[in-house]
Amino acid sequence: MPGIVGGLEPGKKRKRKDEVSGNSKKSRTALKAREPDPQEEVLGLEQKILESRTNYNSIHTLLDHIRVGGSAEEKDILAAVALCRVFCRLMAAGNLNKPQDKASNEATIVQWLRERLQDYENRLLRLLKDEDAGRQSTALTLLMRLIKEEATHLNKSEEAIWRHGLFEKLLRTLVEDGVAEDTRVEFVEKYVGEYDEVRYYTFARLADMSSKDPSEPVVQNTLSILSAVETIPEQQDELENFYIGPPSKAKHELYSLTAHKKQAQKAWMALLRHTLTKAQRKSILDLMSHRIAPWFLKPELLLDFLTDSSNIGGSTSLMALSGLFYLMQHKNLDYPQFYQKLYSLLDAQILHSKHRSRFFRLLETFLASTHLPAALVASFIKRLSRLTLYAPPSGIVVVVPWIYNLLKNHPSCTFMIHRNSELDKEEDEGGPERHGDPFRIWESDPMETDAIESSLWEIHMLQTHYHPSVATIAKIISEQFTKQAYNLEDFLDHSYGTMLDAELEKDIKRAPEIEYEIPKKIFMKHEVGSGKEDGLVVKLWSFN
Amino acid sequence: MPPSQLQMLKTSLREQGVVGPQKSKKQRKQASKNGALKESRIRRNAALQGIREQFNPFEVKAASKTKYDFASNKNMGGRAAKGAISRPGVTKGLGEENRRKTLLVEMQRRKKVGGILDRRFGENDPTMTPEEKALERFVKEKQRGSQKGSLFDLEDAEEDDKLTHFGQSLSFDRPDKVDDFYEADLGGSDEDGADGFLEERPQKRRRLSDTDKTSEASLDEGTNTRAEIRKSKKEVMEEVIAKSKLHKYERQQAKEDDDDLRAELDKGLPDLYALMSGTPRQALPSPATNVGMNPDRLALLNGKECSQADKEYDERLRQMAMDQRAKPTTRTLPEEEQLQQEATRLKELEEQRLRRMRGEPEESESKAKEEVQGLNCDEDREQDEEDNFGLGSGLAGERQSRELRVEDEDEFVIEDNLIASGSELEILDAGESDEADDDQEFVQGLLSKEDAGRKGLSFSKDESGVARANGTTGDLAYTYRCPETHDDLLDITRAIAVEDLETVVQRIRALYHPKLASENKAKLGRFATVLVDHISYLPNQPELPPFAVLEALIRHIHSLVKTFPEETSRAFRSHLKSLHEERPTTPTPGDLVILTAIASIFPTSDHFHQIVTPAMLCMTRYLGQRIPQSLSDLATGTYLVTLCLQYQRLSKRYIPEVVNYVSSTLWALSPGISKQARIRPFPHHSLPESLRLSSASPESRRLDFWDVIPGQDDDTNESLKVALIDTHIALIDKMIDLWADKSAFCEAFATIYIQLQQLGQGFAFGSLNTTTRKSLRETSEKLNQHLQQSMAARVPLRLHNHKSLAIKTFIPKFEESYNPDKHYDPDRDRAEMSKLKAEHKHERKGALRELRKDANFIARESLREKKERDSAYEKKYKRLVAEIQGEEGREAKNYEREKRMRKGRK
Repeated sequence: MPGIVGGLEPGKKRKRKDEVSGNSKKSRTALKAREPDPQEEVLGLEQKILESRTNYNSIHTLLDHIRVGGSAEEKDILAAVALCRVFCRLMAAGNLNKPQDKASNEATIVQWLRERLQDYENRLLRLLKDEDAGRQSTALTLLMRLIKEEATHLNKSEEAIWRHGLFEKLLRTLVEDGVAEDTRVEFVEKYVGEYDEVRYYTFARLADMSSKDPSEPVVQNTLSILSAVETIPEQQDELENFYIGPPSKAKHELYSLTAHKKQAQKAWMALLRHTLTKAQRKSILDLMSHRIAPWFLKPELLLDFLTDSSNIGGSTSLMALSGLFYLMQHKNLDYPQFYQKLYSLLDAQILHSKHRSRFFRLLETFLASTHLPAALVASFIKRLSRLTLYAPPSGIVVVVPWIYNLLKNHPSCTFMIHRNSELDKEEDEGGPERHGDPFRIWESDPMETDAIESSLWEIHMLQTHYHPSVATIAKIISEQFTKQAYNLEDFLDHSYGTMLDAELEKDIKRAPEIEYEIPKKIFMKHEVGSGKEDGLVVKLWSFN
Repeated sequence: MPPSQLQMLKTSLREQGVVGPQKSKKQRKQASKNGALKESRIRRNAALQGIREQFNPFEVKAASKTKYDFASNKNMGGRAAKGAISRPGVTKGLGEENRRKTLLVEMQRRKKVGGILDRRFGENDPTMTPEEKALERFVKEKQRGSQKGSLFDLEDAEEDDKLTHFGQSLSFDRPDKVDDFYEADLGGSDEDGADGFLEERPQKRRRLSDTDKTSEASLDEGTNTRAEIRKSKKEVMEEVIAKSKLHKYERQQAKEDDDDLRAELDKGLPDLYALMSGTPRQALPSPATNVGMNPDRLALLNGKECSQADKEYDERLRQMAMDQRAKPTTRTLPEEEQLQQEATRLKELEEQRLRRMRGEPEESESKAKEEVQGLNCDEDREQDEEDNFGLGSGLAGERQSRELRVEDEDEFVIEDNLIASGSELEILDAGESDEADDDQEFVQGLLSKEDAGRKGLSFSKDESGVARANGTTGDLAYTYRCPETHDDLLDITRAIAVEDLETVVQRIRALYHPKLASENKAKLGRFATVLVDHISYLPNQPELPPFAVLEALIRHIHSLVKTFPEETSRAFRSHLKSLHEERPTTPTPGDLVILTAIASIFPTSDHFHQIVTPAMLCMTRYLGQRIPQSLSDLATGTYLVTLCLQYQRLSKRYIPEVVNYVSSTLWALSPGISKQARIRPFPHHSLPESLRLSSASPESRRLDFWDVIPGQDDDTNESLKVALIDTHIALIDKMIDLWADKSAFCEAFATIYIQLQQLGQGFAFGSLNTTTRKSLRETSEKLNQHLQQSMAARVPLRLHNHKSLAIKTFIPKFEESYNPDKHYDPDRDRAEMSKLKAEHKHERKGALRELRKDANFIARESLREKKERDSAYEKKYKRLVAEIQGEEGREAKNYEREKRMRKGRK
């Protein structure tokens, strides 16, 4: 982080300069003169602490600075940074290592210093909950640096560092309420994403924490941390980035991909067990196929969650589809009555939903098989074509090419657009005249809807849609089926806005047609007996 | 075994009688006496020739390579079979003969001029006997005598009758006559002679060039010199023409001078008479009495400068040619014809509209862009057709419109009229009085009576003059700047009442009529766009403008659009764009007015239209995406639904958004409809409960346009709610009318029907007033009826009654009785082209061969000539040598003799 580095740099420089120039009178007077400057003051204190043990008490002063907090904003950050340097130096110098002799003076000092360190850490953690995001970020960096220093110099066990030590506290603070979202993201980006063992322990700690604490903010924040993790190791040898340094044992669990995945799985499962809000569920489902499921050693564990989600209905179930599909595709899971479920998703919302294009991409995949029963395919076709009667143009332009592709793949469904022999037969038999639509729209089982007996009158009606492009696209089902298939991608991402843009972007090349007759009246009623009929607007509205 | 060659020769010689028993001397003498000897020699020669041919194996050439019959049908026809045996010797000999006749003659005549053509009968014909020759001459003589009709029969004038000079013809039509024309001779020739000569010249040229052309093929080296000659002759011709013209002019000049002099003398003649007779001269007749005479002519007679008169005449002529009145006017049609013409015009326009409405059968790959492009092309084509009706496009169009006097063209008529009254001093043609009826409405509407009556007065005068009943406040100015931007127009209109706006616009249009100045066209174009801005600006103002003004403005824009379609359309499109980008779900009243204006100005039934299509999208976007929160929202939506239906009044296209909107609005407004009845196949938005009609239902009223502006007591405005319900029921009625024929009518209207039924029951029904109840019941009944009809009429789709597509075949097309000579190219042009090419190649080869042979021939001939010359020289040399030798020998002998004699003497 440049800010911190910048903060460290001048201090070092200053120190070196002081050493070179000695404590000349001039510089001292200069120091005094600039005493009100907090930076000078903090740096001076830092200098003193490092110079001699006798000045250790200045640590207190610096700690106080941090405590003052809000009043002198500059100061507390400076003090924190300075203290970090101080402690790092002390640790590096071994001043915090417990001596053999417990009773000696030395031991007392070490004890005292350790207490101060504790103090300092607590304050940093508090700083992490500051309102200002910049400070949070500084505190985070300092904390992580302390963790690193402690691990290197204090000879702490792994357990002590990651499970119970500062890291645990840090994570606990991070999932709490006061920490800004940005800080969490920064934490994930800089440490979790970068270093394998940080990620490993993060997952482990989060799993612990979220299983213990089911409170609302914790769940939310855990989710945000987990969902920010992007990198998923694929191979064993990818695990080589360590924050503190590679563990000594070759067979250490940090080297094991399964161990990593296990931790992630544990963390996610712990999270999924909580009651989630709709938005959370959606965001999880959104990540399901590419961020979550790959972690899972036993993906069937996700099945419960996905099934629950898809039973909720609406857009949630729509989104659960892609997760289910991932499981079926990659993990070979069987999902009973999948098509029935899918069919139930074709509700009033689907063509108006913003997930429309995602749904159609999946739907295309699900119905791509030519081995599906024709009755089932026909139900899907009929139901969607019914929905197009009320859909926006952008929805219609997706459905029609999709229907075309299906009809092309399932020729037995083409009875829906051309039923010649059937009619003749009926007439010959003189059987019951079946007017109306044999299709049963309320039937939930796509095999039982009799859609294949029906015709696509809806699409036929849309051939007279008001928008010329839509009307033309609707006409493809009555043209000869010469094209092998339409690429659905071309039709997916349209909306009123894009269509209008496309229309209005281009300049008019030639003069448009103009109504040849100038109407006598536009807002007013024609005189009685003028022989002209009033427009609809005039009939229904009064203009005064 | 066949006999030997020698034996065969002997037998054939004997058979032909070439050899035979020796004839006695007596017999021979006898034969030579009666000419039988000569005859027999000829016969013998022929026989010998035949024998030689017969025995020369190289005289006859078989076809070079024979093909099997089945491989080629070349020898099936007679053509190829004939050429199976060829006689190269014969053909070669023939060619040689021909060349000798033509090329050799030409060669010999080269660089030679003149010559003698032997026209004697049978002179070079050895077959003719002297008796026959004499007979021929006699016959010719007789014919000539009998044909001579008269001396003056020019048709078959013979050589003898032509003019001769020392027995030589003076005409140049004999090819062997070289014309000895020299340009300097022409100097003194008179007019007729020169003309006659000129007439004859081209003919001669043509002949010359003809011979050139023919000789060019054979004589390559000769052409260069010829070309030189030709060029000089051309120059000569030009000079001749120039000179003869000059002479002619000089002669005319001299003649005119003579005439003038004579006229002058004639004028003086009466005086002379008077002097001679001695009586006093009578008073001259004054020019004024010369009534019948043109003053110019008189002036000319009176000695006006001739050239000046000519100049004046030219000027007059030009003026007359330029005069508008000189042009023939179209016939004034009787009333029936006018009506008929008008009817056909309207019919054609309607047909065009229908064609545009149907669009064009597009390709199956209908990506929007391609399709639009295709449509554009299509429209371009239609535009061309429509150009015939380009009204308001230039002067011709305007004249046409004036003559048509069509009612919907009245804007243009009035426009012209205005100009006439304001600035054109010329009175319009007599048709004006007829137009008065049509114009009356506009004259009253647009101009005050005084204005109309003030024809011929200039505007500058009016400005200072007293204007009576001028504008609402009576101080309306007559001249305005033509507003370039909307701000300009605001500046202008700031001072005037909104009711006078129409008059102001009318005056601006009159002041800047395109006819008055060339830059006015651009100005008015900008003014049109400013007006478009203004109609969207006015309704957004706090003080609401009267709709009469808006209506007049829209009509003005409509008539301007016809003249400036591009500018105005751009303005409309930019409005749509700002609506789309800035406030897609919160249209202002101004936007609504713009959309209404589009409905009347542009043909909304077109399959694709550059303005209507985006406008439709803007409206449906609002209907589809805006979730109404207040009654004003609902009013806006309802207005847009009305507009949508008005847009589709002719083309009857289906609009899903309208169905959704009407249905959900009814749901939102209807009192006491249970919430669980959400069976709608489109998303349900929970609208504020306050929108529902409370139980107390006041009297219904019509919806007002200004209901779209949010008011204070909006959500409790019960009368507005009732009005909305009423309007929606009426809209449903209209929708049924529009879409009842569609195939999925039942599905689309099923929900609405359920709603209407629910509204017609129980609590909801109770809270409606009587008129609403009535219309509700009627509409519900109508819908039910139509639903049943549609259901009954429904048949399964039969969309694929296409002719089944043929599978692409890759089997080669097999020709029965294939002929390799024939070309079976299916592409007609290409086949013809290849045929021509083959022909050309063939001809070229032939020509090359001929040329080569010619060259050979020429070389051979020249060699022969050279040899002849050489041998002649040799002969001569030898002769001379022999002569000299002989002389010398004699002299030597003489010398010898002398010597001997001297010796002998000694």
